[in-house]
Amino acid sequence: MRDDEQEQSIYRDYRIILFALAIIASLFFIQPWYSSDEGFTSNLNYGLDLQGGSWLQVKLQGAVVQLDADSGLLIREIVKTNLGENVEIRTVEEREDGTTVIFTSGSMLTNNQIDQLGLGQATISRSNNITELTLHTSKVTLITRYLSDSLKAEVIPGLVSSGMQYEIRTAVSQEELEILMAVVEGSIVTDLNGEPIYREGVTVETRDLTKEILSDKLNSLGLKDIPVRTAGDDYIIIDFAGIDLATAKNIAERPGKFEIRIATQGNESMHVLYGDEIRAVSIVGYNDNDGQWYVPFTLTDAGALALQKAAIETGATRNPLSHNLIMYLDDREVYSAPLSHSAAARLEEVPIYSWQASTGPDEDSKARAEQLQIHLRAGALPVNVELVGSGQVDATLGKQFKEQAVLAGFLALFGVAFVIYRKYKKKGILVPMVATSVSEVIMILGFAAATGWQLDLASIAGIIAVIGTGIDHLVIITDEVLYEGKLPPKKVYLARITKAFSIIFAAAATTILAMSPLVFMGFGALKGFAITTIVGVLIGIFIARPAYARVIPEVLETNPNDTE
Amino acid sequence: MVVGLTERLDSFVRTHNDRQLAAIPLALFVIALLILAFTFASTGAPVKLGMEFKGGTMISVATEESVLSFEETFADYPLNNIRQTGSRVIMQFGPMSDDMQHELVSNVVGSYTGVEINQIGPVYGASLQKQAVIAVIISFIGMALLVFLIFKTFVPSIIVVVSALSDIIIAAAFMNVAGIELSLGTVAALLMIIGYSVDSDILLNTRVLKRRGTTQENITSAMYTGVTMTTTTLAALIVMYLVSTYSYLLSSSLSQITLLSNIAIVLIFGLVADLINTWMLNTSILRWHVNKNGSRRRKA
Repeated sequence: MRDDEQEQSIYRDYRIILFALAIIASLFFIQPWYSSDEGFTSNLNYGLDLQGGSWLQVKLQGAVVQLDADSGLLIREIVKTNLGENVEIRTVEEREDGTTVIFTSGSMLTNNQIDQLGLGQATISRSNNITELTLHTSKVTLITRYLSDSLKAEVIPGLVSSGMQYEIRTAVSQEELEILMAVVEGSIVTDLNGEPIYREGVTVETRDLTKEILSDKLNSLGLKDIPVRTAGDDYIIIDFAGIDLATAKNIAERPGKFEIRIATQGNESMHVLYGDEIRAVSIVGYNDNDGQWYVPFTLTDAGALALQKAAIETGATRNPLSHNLIMYLDDREVYSAPLSHSAAARLEEVPIYSWQASTGPDEDSKARAEQLQIHLRAGALPVNVELVGSGQVDATLGKQFKEQAVLAGFLALFGVAFVIYRKYKKKGILVPMVATSVSEVIMILGFAAATGWQLDLASIAGIIAVIGTGIDHLVIITDEVLYEGKLPPKKVYLARITKAFSIIFAAAATTILAMSPLVFMGFGALKGFAITTIVGVLIGIFIARPAYARVIPEVLETNPNDTE
Repeated sequence: MVVGLTERLDSFVRTHNDRQLAAIPLALFVIALLILAFTFASTGAPVKLGMEFKGGTMISVATEESVLSFEETFADYPLNNIRQTGSRVIMQFGPMSDDMQHELVSNVVGSYTGVEINQIGPVYGASLQKQAVIAVIISFIGMALLVFLIFKTFVPSIIVVVSALSDIIIAAAFMNVAGIELSLGTVAALLMIIGYSVDSDILLNTRVLKRRGTTQENITSAMYTGVTMTTTTLAALIVMYLVSTYSYLLSSSLSQITLLSNIAIVLIFGLVADLINTWMLNTSILRWHVNKNGSRRRKA
């Protein structure tokens, strides 16, 4: 009693203040309310299994790999596939700034044909019935083109710290790739340990792009707020609140309708082509010549011819500024701009396959280009996806689960209280212990409300598990304090509390460690369990249990003989 | 009840020597290993894999119809298993084609109420399987490293790790005996056992190694605290198990919640195993370790 600290009011102790603030903040975030017509309401979000709805989980198919091959053989294969001509390679010169290949062919090859391959600048000369071509290109361009021809899929090269990496946006096994590369005397590059640099899946950028496209497409169908989540590197989960699984599948499988039209007169326009004539959409780029952001895309033969025909018919080739090209996604205008003068002039002569839709010079334009890239794909995802999982809980069942899970939580608390009372037979211990446990639950819910975390069944199981560990730790504190069956002197008390907390911290650290793989790995359903457990343990050891340790001696001191 | 259990356990520990005490949990451990080995030999996996890891479709609906009429209705689909709890019927289907899947889902959604569907592709199931194994291994190794970091001496650390291992093995063997399949819920429960198991072990080690007084007194005091801890947790879990598993018997408007039921039952068995391992196996090894070191110190 002579001790200064002992005389300090517990209401001014930082542990108690922190505890009180945390409870007030939690209640503020949860905003529990009861009204006779609406029943119990709060700010808490519930997962699909508690509010009803369905979910789809898709796997993104692809491979990320580093490759090398012979540039000459690559050109021979590319020309053979695209132009049906056999060429002979004369010289190959690989330099820092690119690759120059000289090759010859017995038949006529035109500039236009070579341009269409999109490999680079070529000069063509012809003598003695032999066409000689000098092509300035790069190995990256050649490998990309070869792979996308052979696999009929988009291939995106990208520079990473260990070299040039190719993302192949379709399912392809390591063996299949090795066979393909052997044709051009190439192989999968190996790392320092001699392991081939190949992995199934896609890059994080592609995963996020796919997620964006899915969100955009689903939300454009008038369905508000369909959350599209990523799970691990290669999986995407789509949640359809309040929608049954059959409807959800229909929605997800329906492609968006993309259309390009050309302005005729005034507000009138005519149809040019639909989204299926767009062969590929590449990533957003910045054009140094005109200082604009743009999205490159390629048309099919039919698409390129349709566009040329429409441009000539409407007079856009001679007067591009009064005949904008307009793009629609699901009948919504998403882009409108005139043909460039150079493109207009060229369209008079030949169809153009590779296009760039420019959006402007500033940062906003970059964002617009990224948005347009998504629209151009029109629900056509950049990678093939495979449905790997799906599920549904309907609304009445979800409500029932919710009520039952809450009931289980309350009854669990009563069960715990019963055991505690049997053991200590003191209200002075029972009440603070149960109150601490309840407060931990309130703080977990407060955290969930504040962060918009969705509570699902797994989270509620996690909360019940936390009640379990929480009470364990309160028992450790209580028993340390009451070692000799009564409250020890202040100094001994502090030493004991320190020891109790060293046990608690060690135990909490192992629980957190044991749960953390579930947070980081791709188990959608278990993330909730792991996160509530970890958050609950942290709240417990840093807020609730220190407050309990501060309160318990005060309570026992005022009611030392409060037995039975 | 609680006090009775602790007192009986305490007198059992006092009246048996270290070797006798360790024999019981070790025998259990060996039996559990044999069960897992037997399951492994007959099925290719140490525990029975559930739908989430094998792939397939689970459909549960509210209905008054009989199981027989369901078997008839869904005869065209690969129906593996069907059972009834209260006013619900739960069906398990094997893997099927996307089109068939679509047709089945439309059919069920159109004709029944209170529908719950869960479908996992076989390839994804296999990758979940791999991830689950990795998750358990990472958790376990992380726990072991942390325990060694905390105690810094070999014997006290290794017994915590061995006891956690034995808890998981016994809980897994129990799953095989009781016919509980490995699901995402039970994987979470097995990981949680690691957390719970270490709680009481750390308590025991700290009390015996760092508190003054005789070893036996410290063991007794640790036991009073530790058994209270485990029984309170057990109380919470038993309630969760009963509510999620059997409440439909009380009212037909309630239904089974498989996820909660699975997590609860596996944790319950993990904790019972932990009671035995902590207070017989760990206690006996720790008692032997302290007495041996103590006597050596006295000689010196």
